[in-house]
Formats: sequence, C-alpha cells, structure tokens
Amino acid sequence: MVGPQYDLVGNPLGAVRSTFERAAAAAAAESGGHEPVAAFRGKDWGASEVFRSFLFEQGGLDKVPVLDESNLGLIKPNTLVRFRGMVQDMLGNEFYVGAFKDGSTWRTNKFSDSSPFSMPHPCDSHLWERHLFHCVPVPGQNSWTRESSPGPDLRRMASCLTSEQREKRKRGADNDAMDVSESGSGKTSSSSKKTKDGVQISNSSVEMSMNEEHVPEMNGGDHHIPGSSFSCLVKVYDMPESQVKLNDVSEFIGVYTFDPELAAPSDNSDDIMFDLMEDVTAQLPPSKVPRLHCLVWRNLSAHDFLSRPPAVEPSPILLRGIRQSLLSHLTLVLGKDELAAQCLLLHLLSRLRNKVDVVTVGRLSLNFTGFNRESVSIFGNQLNNLFQRLLPYSQVIPLSIEYLNTATLQPRKDNQSGRLVTGVLQLPQGTHLTFDETLLQSGSLTSKGVENTMLLKNLMESQKVEYDFEFYKLEMATDVQLLTLSEGKSNILPSDLIVSFRPSSVPAVNASSEELESWRWYLATVRSLPQSTETDTYQMIQDEMVNAMRDDRSLGCSELSRWLTMAQIMAASFGEKSLSMEHWQMVKELERLRKERLQ
Amino acid sequence: MAATATKTVDFAAERALAKDFLANFAGPRGEPKYLNILQDVANRKIRAVQIELDDLFHYKDADDEFLQRVTENTKRYIGIFSDAIDELMPESTEAYAVDEDRDILMTQRVDEGADGGADGTDPLQRMPPEIRREVYIKAFSKVTPLTIRQVKASNIGQLVKISGIVTRCSDVKPLMQVAVYTCEECGFEIYQEVTARVFMPLFECPSQRCKLNKAKGNLILQLRASKFLKFQEVKLQELAEHVPKGHIPRSLTVHLRGELTRKVAPGDVVEMSGIFLPMPYYGFRAMRAGLVADTYLETMSITHFKKKYEEYELKGDEQEQIDRLAEDGDIYNKLARSLAPEIFGHEDVKKALLLLLVGAPHRKLTDGMKIRGDLHICLMGDPGVAKSQLLKHIINVAPRGVYTTGRGSSGVGLTAAVQKDPVTNEFVLEGGALVLADMGICAIDEFDKMEESDRTAIHEVMEQQTVSIAKAGITTSLNARTAVLAAANPAWGRYDMRRTPAENINLPPALLSRFDLLWLILDRADMETDLEMARHVVHVHQNLESPALGAYISAARRVVPSVPRELEEYIATAYSSIRQEEAKSNAPHSYTTIRTLLSILRISIALARLRFSETVAQSDVDEALRLMQMSKYSLYSDDRQRSGLDAISDIYSILRDEAARTNSMDVRYAHALNLISRKGYSEAQLKECLEEYASLNVWQIHPNTFDIHFIDA
Repeated sequence: MVGPQYDLVGNPLGAVRSTFERAAAAAAAESGGHEPVAAFRGKDWGASEVFRSFLFEQGGLDKVPVLDESNLGLIKPNTLVRFRGMVQDMLGNEFYVGAFKDGSTWRTNKFSDSSPFSMPHPCDSHLWERHLFHCVPVPGQNSWTRESSPGPDLRRMASCLTSEQREKRKRGADNDAMDVSESGSGKTSSSSKKTKDGVQISNSSVEMSMNEEHVPEMNGGDHHIPGSSFSCLVKVYDMPESQVKLNDVSEFIGVYTFDPELAAPSDNSDDIMFDLMEDVTAQLPPSKVPRLHCLVWRNLSAHDFLSRPPAVEPSPILLRGIRQSLLSHLTLVLGKDELAAQCLLLHLLSRLRNKVDVVTVGRLSLNFTGFNRESVSIFGNQLNNLFQRLLPYSQVIPLSIEYLNTATLQPRKDNQSGRLVTGVLQLPQGTHLTFDETLLQSGSLTSKGVENTMLLKNLMESQKVEYDFEFYKLEMATDVQLLTLSEGKSNILPSDLIVSFRPSSVPAVNASSEELESWRWYLATVRSLPQSTETDTYQMIQDEMVNAMRDDRSLGCSELSRWLTMAQIMAASFGEKSLSMEHWQMVKELERLRKERLQ
Repeated sequence: MAATATKTVDFAAERALAKDFLANFAGPRGEPKYLNILQDVANRKIRAVQIELDDLFHYKDADDEFLQRVTENTKRYIGIFSDAIDELMPESTEAYAVDEDRDILMTQRVDEGADGGADGTDPLQRMPPEIRREVYIKAFSKVTPLTIRQVKASNIGQLVKISGIVTRCSDVKPLMQVAVYTCEECGFEIYQEVTARVFMPLFECPSQRCKLNKAKGNLILQLRASKFLKFQEVKLQELAEHVPKGHIPRSLTVHLRGELTRKVAPGDVVEMSGIFLPMPYYGFRAMRAGLVADTYLETMSITHFKKKYEEYELKGDEQEQIDRLAEDGDIYNKLARSLAPEIFGHEDVKKALLLLLVGAPHRKLTDGMKIRGDLHICLMGDPGVAKSQLLKHIINVAPRGVYTTGRGSSGVGLTAAVQKDPVTNEFVLEGGALVLADMGICAIDEFDKMEESDRTAIHEVMEQQTVSIAKAGITTSLNARTAVLAAANPAWGRYDMRRTPAENINLPPALLSRFDLLWLILDRADMETDLEMARHVVHVHQNLESPALGAYISAARRVVPSVPRELEEYIATAYSSIRQEEAKSNAPHSYTTIRTLLSILRISIALARLRFSETVAQSDVDEALRLMQMSKYSLYSDDRQRSGLDAISDIYSILRDEAARTNSMDVRYAHALNLISRKGYSEAQLKECLEEYASLNVWQIHPNTFDIHFIDA
C-alpha cells in the first residue's frame, strides 16, 4: 500500500473511500465488470490495514484523541477517536447498504452513517452487516487507569478538519436523507430482482411524517445506566462474532459521529403497523449517544493501563523485591497485622484459573472478621484507598438491609425496549469488590432482598451471575475478587478464607507514585503468570494432605482445595512458575497461625 | 447471489412445473394431495395452501436446482405457485354461506353477466384471487433450524428455519390486501391489490367506459368489500442453549399473516420457517436511519416444540466423545463420578442421580394405562450436606430442568393455579414448576415444607404425571411428565438415629412409596479413604474437564431396551424374596409393594440404556437391586450396622440359606456374587467370607472357578 495521502486522523473516511474505490476498480478490471464488490462483504479491502500500520507501527496511536464525557462536544465528527469502555449490551446486527453503484463507480458506506454521494434510484447495491455494541465507561474504573492514555491536545485537533470537507459532509447528509426515502426496494440485494412487494411510497405518507418532525425532546439521559449518561454505540465490522464478549473491556479506534442537532423522532407516529419493529438504537439517539465506526479494536488487560510498563522480563528476583515492599505496605495499612497482610496479598493475586459448571479453581475470597463500625472507618477506608490506587477496577458495596432490599444487582433484559438493563453485578473480569458487612443490622428482607442475597452468594460460591432474560436466566461467568469486612464470620457471604483481623496500630502511610506503579505492575504481572507444576510435587502434596487429615479429622474437601490454591498463588507471588514444597509449607504455617487466632 | 441465478431462469417453465407438481403430487395414500387442498379452499373450508418442500423434494420432476431456486428466492416462487394455484383452482362443489360483502358483489357481477363483457380484460376489474387463498411454502421438516445468530445478510430473500422463544406479541391488526372501489360514474367495482404496507389509493376510475367517456369517475373505497389480512408482529429471542458463552441472546422480528396469526404467545418455544427480508424504511424513519435496513422474517409455518433430551444437538466432537465413552467399559462409574465433581464421595447417590437423568421409557399399555418411566428420587439428610448443590448440579446437566423449593417462589406453587388477570378480569391457568418441567426434571428443595394443597396434587403428579385443575370454572388436566428429585430435611432438624425413618421423615408413607429411591446422606461418607480425597482435590486442581455428560445422556435416552422373558422370572423371584424377608421381620422398615417391582424394572432399564443395550441384562437387575438395598441401608441404622460390622457372617448366612433353599451342597460363585451384591455387599467382602469360612472348613472353594461346596458336617 502507498503511504497515507489522507490525514488519517482528521479525515479517516477519505482513506476508507479511496482505498475502496481503488480496490473496486481493480476487482472490476479483473472480473470484467461483473459484480466486482460482492467479494468485499465481510472482508477488509485494505482499509483497516492502512490504519493498523499507522496506529501501531508509525506511532499514530498517540495522535488519536480519547473520547470521554468531557470532550464529547469538542471532537469534530467524522474524525478518528479512541474509546475505552466495557461492552454493556450487544444489540445484534445491523444491516446497511454497504456498497452501491453511482453511475459506473462503486461507492461504499462502510464506517459511516451517511454517504457524501447521493444514491441514485434505483441502483445496484449490496446489503452488508455490522455488529452493534453498547459500550459504557468501565464500572468501578479507578482514576489512575486514565492517566496512561492521554490524548493529544484537542485544540490542535480542531484544525485537522478543513472547512471544505465539513461543508461537503453536511451537503452529503442532506442529499442522502432525501434519496434513501425514495430508494425503497432498491435496497434488496439485487435490482434485477424486482420483487412484487417493493414499497411504494405515497406522497401522503411522506408529508405526514414530515409534519411529525418537531417532536418533543427525549427526556433525560439514558435511564438504563444509573449514575452515568455517557455511553457510546460502537459499530464493529468484519469480526468473527465470538471475539468480543459481554463485559469485555476493549479499546475501539474508529470514526466518530455525533450529531446533537439531529433530533430523534418519536417512532410510533410514522407507522402504526409496527409495534415491535422499533430498533433499539432509537433509544440511543444519535443526538445523545455518539457513534463509533470501529476500524481497529483490541481487548485491554490490566497491563494496558500501566503508564510505563518496565521493559524488563519479570524475573523472580525483581518480583521478590516488589513483593516485599508491597507486603510491608499492606502490613502497615492493616495496622501491623502481618498475617492479614499475607492473606490479603494472596487474595489480591487470586484469579479464576479453571471453571466447569459450578466448580471453580483458583478463586480466593477473603473475609476479615473483627471489624466494627469504627475500625471500618479507619482500616476500611485505608484499604479502599489502596485498592483504588492499585487495581484497575474496584468497588465498595455497603451491605445493609436497606441496600439489599433496594439495590438492583441483577442485570435484566427489558424485552419492551430490547435492552439489557444493567445491574451492580454487571462487572468486567478482574474487578475487586469489597463488602462492608458492619452496616448490617437485624431486619427483614423483602423478596428482592432475598433475591439479591442469593445472587451475591452465587457469585461468591461459583463465580457466576445470573442475568434475567425474562423467560429464562443465563449465567455469565465472572472473575471477581471478593473481600468481606465483618464483625463475625459472614454467613451471608461465605468466603473461602476467614481471617480474624488483629491490628496493633493505626495506619498512617502513604506510598510514592513510583512505588504504586511498581506494585500495579507486580499485581498485573503475577496474575498473568502461567503456571505448571510437576506431577511429583502433586504426589508429595497428596501425601501431605493425607497426613493432615490424620491429624485433623474435621478437614474437608473445600479446605484442602483452598490450601492448594493458596500454595499456587504463593508460588506465583514469588515469581515462580511451578509450585514447590517450600510454598506449601509457607501456606501451612499461615494456616496454623490463622487457626490459632480463630480459637 | 439470487440475482445472477434468476437471470437465466425461464419463469414460464417454472410455473408449468409448479402447476404440474400441484396437479400430480400424490400424498401418502396416493390421493392428489394438493388438488384436495385446493378443493377445500374452493369450498371455503380452509384458506391457506401450504406447499411443503418435503413434497417437492419427493416429486419426480423437481430437481435439486429447482429446490434451491425455491429456497433462495422464495418470495418470487410464492408468486409462481400462487399463479399455478389460481389456474388450477376448481369450482366449489359444496354450497357455502354467502356471508361477505364481496361475495354479494361477486354474485351481482355474475348476474349482470355480459354487461361487463367489454371490460372483462381489465385486470383492475377482476377480483384478485388473493381474496380467497393464502399460499405458504414450508421449509424442510428434517433440516436443523438455524439460531437467530446464524441468520446473516447472505440469507436475505431465502427461506430459513429458525428456533427461538417468543418474547413479545403485538395485537392482531388488519392489513389491507385488496382495496375495492366503486365508481360513481360507471358503477363498476375496481379491485386494487396492495402488496406493500403503504399504497397509493386510486382516485380516477380506470374502467374502459369511464376512459372512453372521459368521465374521470370518482372512486369510493368500499371498506366492507375490501380484503383485509390479519397481521401480527412477534419478537423471537434466541434459546438459552444457543447463546455462546459470554454473549447475550439476539432477537428477531417476525411477521405473521392471515391464518398464522394468534398461534403463539410469549414464552412459547417455537420453530418457524419463513423468508428473511429487509424492510425498507420510508418516511421520516428513512431519513433518520440513513442507509440502514431493518430485517424481519415473513413466516411461512410455525411449529411449537418442547426441548427434550432426545433433541439435544450434538456440538463439535461430542459424537466422538460419546463413542469413546461408550467403548469404555466403566462408563457407569465414570459418569456417576463426573456428576457434581466438587462433591466428594456419595458414589451410590450419584449413580442413582445418573439413572434419574437417564430414566426409562414411558410405557403405554394396550388398555390405555400409562406406566411412568421417570425415576423419582428423594434425598434426605442433615442441613449442609450439599443436597441443594447436588440438586442444582442435576438441573444444570438436564436440558430441561426446573429448580424450586417446596414453598415455591411464586403464588402459582408447584402444580398449577388459576389466577385472575388484572386487566381483562379473565381467569387464566398458570402452570407451576412441575408443569414447566414437563418432559424434564423437577428438583424440589425443602420437599417437606411443601404447602398442603401441593402435597395432595403431587401424589397425582408422581404416579399419573398430570396435574388436574378444577377451579373457577376451569377443569383441565395438564401434563407433568417429569422426574421428581426431592430434597428433604429431617423432621427435627437433624436425623435422629434412634427414631425410625418414618418418624424422621415428615412425609406420609403414601408419598414416600412413590419414590423409587430414598436416600439418606450423612455428613461424611464412611468408606472413602483420606487418600482418595486428597487425590480428588489434586485432580480437580490439575485438570478439570466436564465429559460430554449431557450428550451421552441424550444419546442413551434414545435407546428403548426390552426385558427378555427369561429375566422376568428372575425379577419376580427377587421381588418375592424381598417380600418374604419383609414378612419375616417383625418391624418392617419398608413398604415393598408392586411399585417396588416397577422401580426395579425402571432402574434396570435405565442401566441398560446407559450401556446402549437393547435388552436388559441380569447384571442390570442385580445392580438395581443393589442400589435399592443400599438406599435402604442408608436409611436404617441397624442395617447399616450389620453391613458395616458383620458383613462376613451375613454373607455366610445368605449363602447358607441359598444352599438350604435349593437343597444342594453347591453354590456357584457367579450365583453367590449376584446374591450378595443384591444385598449391597462387594466382591471383596465375598472373597473375604469365602476365605474365612474355608479356613474353618465350613466349605470348600474350587481353586479355579471359586464355586462353593458345603462340607456336610
């Protein structure tokens, strides 16, 4: 491919269209003018490639502004933007006129809402499809993660768009709207096939709908997302469907369109026949929710949020050092309770390694007992501050009767609107949740309260959340770290590991930003470390378990399983790829100390 | 695409072929199937003509290419078939009531006869045939339906078959199909066919007479004479099992017309065939939507269906996995162990649950009596012994399973309820958990806390497998062909060993006798060694994988094993010996009734199904008896005592009794093994017994065959 003739950031569509026209011309020459663009359905003709090399090989990524609530109105439409968010809802496929023949030239509408060229009527056209994802800012995302992706200065960006192009775009949009209303049956896949029921548009119906143009403004923001009105409708092209999953945190780079001037019509007025035909995008009017036509996307992991990832290999020596400094910091935060700090470290490093049905391997939920309202306000706040600065996503849930009875935890499909109404438990993988149970007092739960409790318990026990689809429930797998702060052992939320918390001093520590950065890197690295352990070690551990059971008849399956999980995390925390007996002994010692306290 | 194909097709020839097919296709008994249908249409008995692709497929003159053209350009071919139908439409042979205005118009027109002759050629003055018939093309019945997710842009214009659950239904509305006008000047009726949703009404009379006279006759729309089609919109959502992990279900808008309206209600699981079409926007919608097209399915046929195990769709390499598992001899133990792997031990309970999943086929006797094939199992035990976990796991595995508690979560309860609709004030029937689990498994936790009204109804459910309702003027019977898996807590919170099971279980004997197996789960299984437990934990951490359990069970459920005649005798003997034993004992624990015999049969058949065997083997019966025995042992402490401590002498007494019964000094080893396994003893225990008593010179053991010969003392 030739170098970019177009300003890829300021006028991405120019590049898309010029590559298309070139590719279409080449294909036409090859096939002898017979359906040259049919082959481009669901395929890239080279446009994405141009952008990919620009963004990742020529360092163009830094030039692309990051779309967020603050700059929503400032970014010029039809420019390249980045958006980082969570896939909150999947709105299915959208069929659009992907290519049409304008005289003798093929034009494309890919990556755009409208075409600068008017579509003749009738004309040869192709219907293509794209996936719609409704994306929101990640729930519980901590502010440090945003520092790592500063976009370029917006004022500089403004000059990217020439006035001529803007004029053109406006005119194009106008023409286009007129044409489409007439094109009617031309949209079916072929023009030669003149179907009997091609719609005839009567003048009267057009007039009628024109009168309806000044409809009342849609009320308020998007009520489906409590607490936030900012979201983005991402349109993804040419993607195998399974690649983006619900609750994935991804970065989408593509063409931004946002038109606050275009009012949304109320739908029921123009056709009484269609009660159910209304598309879900109608509730996400282009005047409220920006569109992003995605050219390039990637899933984000915790590593992608680190501002300056060290270039070094994660060697055990390096990791050991950071582990020590993090552990001593945790100890200080926890009022010099080293046992609690050890357990907390293991808890923060836990991740779901395997899961079949209801069996999960690798999770380690933690319950600190011995808290009361005063100590929660001291230590709990310290912990939360720390989590907010260490982990990409963290949330605190106040577990009071009132909260349980009123909060919407379960995501639910609203079949009237066709949208997934989010709940507190719609969380991205790797979220950390802290439950404050000290707020709980005796009282009665309503049926909603019972439902919410069941959801939390299910999340705790099998790492899954049931989403309500009205006629059936679907289970979504989660990987959420759960910490409970309670007075006694929490029975509502049965954790894997219960530690009686014994602080001996009041925390008063602050970490430097360098330290925080290294700790973030440590947590992200250790959690993604692959693990493999030899069968011999397992054999030895098996014998150890048998001995332990001889000594203590009360040991059960779940405890043994937890020991093994802890030993594996312990090994990983030292940067080791395989588990050794040394780590097993450390866990056993930890367990001994823990049990002493429980007595 | 379709466009290139149609260019070369001669539509006149296609119509001739369609006509030929309709005229000549013979039904299963050789009758002219479609001509009969057309006759019914002409006689106004039915409206819809459904052309089945299955029939086209079997028709000699229709080749594959023709079929392909029909499925890929269906809308066009409906037109072709409609034309053919109109040409073939016979005269009505029966009198029908003249009840519609257009019939009156028609008769008038005929009466006037030659009067309109000059105008007869004008298509606008002829009554369009749409008024009388609807034409549908039904997709192949054998083809696996697509999921909504699989319907792509490439399917546009094609006949597709999809499955899903109905989530919303609109009201049924009239859709104008033929507009009828009368001219003020010449008095003619003018017919206008409406093929789109929006149409341009005629204002000037197009008849010859008006044109000649340049009268520009004013047309008046005759709403009563016009033909309206019923029209309904439905939203279809993907079924839960078709949604890939980490995705959410898709929906699709479906249009139903004419005779197909009012066939579905929200919550119905249906299979629909129809044409996938884009809907062009018009009016203001078009401006807003820009270049986007909505799509919908124009329905051709609807089939309701219930998901059963047998219809489980094999994914990927599951067939291979099943074959591999089936070859493995130890399938019974292996599958049982893979149930709820996180719960350690309780192997016999898991075996019983596996058999519950597999079940036996339902039998219908010649006199119409039905014998259920579903196994009912009741688990009892102290709180916190993972009963609920087991229940939930089973529901997870079963393709159609409902988990509920005895109290039931809604007002509907377990069986069914008649409720008053707040809007219409009509009484509606709502099925409870047992009805919802029809053809599946219903897991009822806290069975002992069931409401009194449900308790009476559950007797019926468990034996007759129906729920009868006689309330608020509604008397009906709903199917509840479900296997009941119940979990109950002991009456006093903990199981009291000193009391009898009947006292411990807070359930009437009549209900208990309906369970094929009752099981008491103790806090910790005795027999498992520590090592096994440790191995289990380590194994789970190393490699956790779920075998193709669901696939295997669905494959097994397709087998219908029979009981060979020679085995009937064996079962009868076994049954009578249980009865005799019970009679001998002064405090019978169990109620061995004819139900027990049926249970033995059911369990044996389920075991044969697991082996993919067409006939029940003696080993199946022995295992069934063993399981029943084990379930009894779990309940009765004294039996358990005996089984634990005095197994050896018990085995001895069994063998002694057998020798005495048959009046012989010899007991063959295989026979001995059968006898003791029925009582729940293992082969190892038998061997131990043999050795011990051989050393006492009570009997001699054959060194090779291990047959027993009693030494006469």
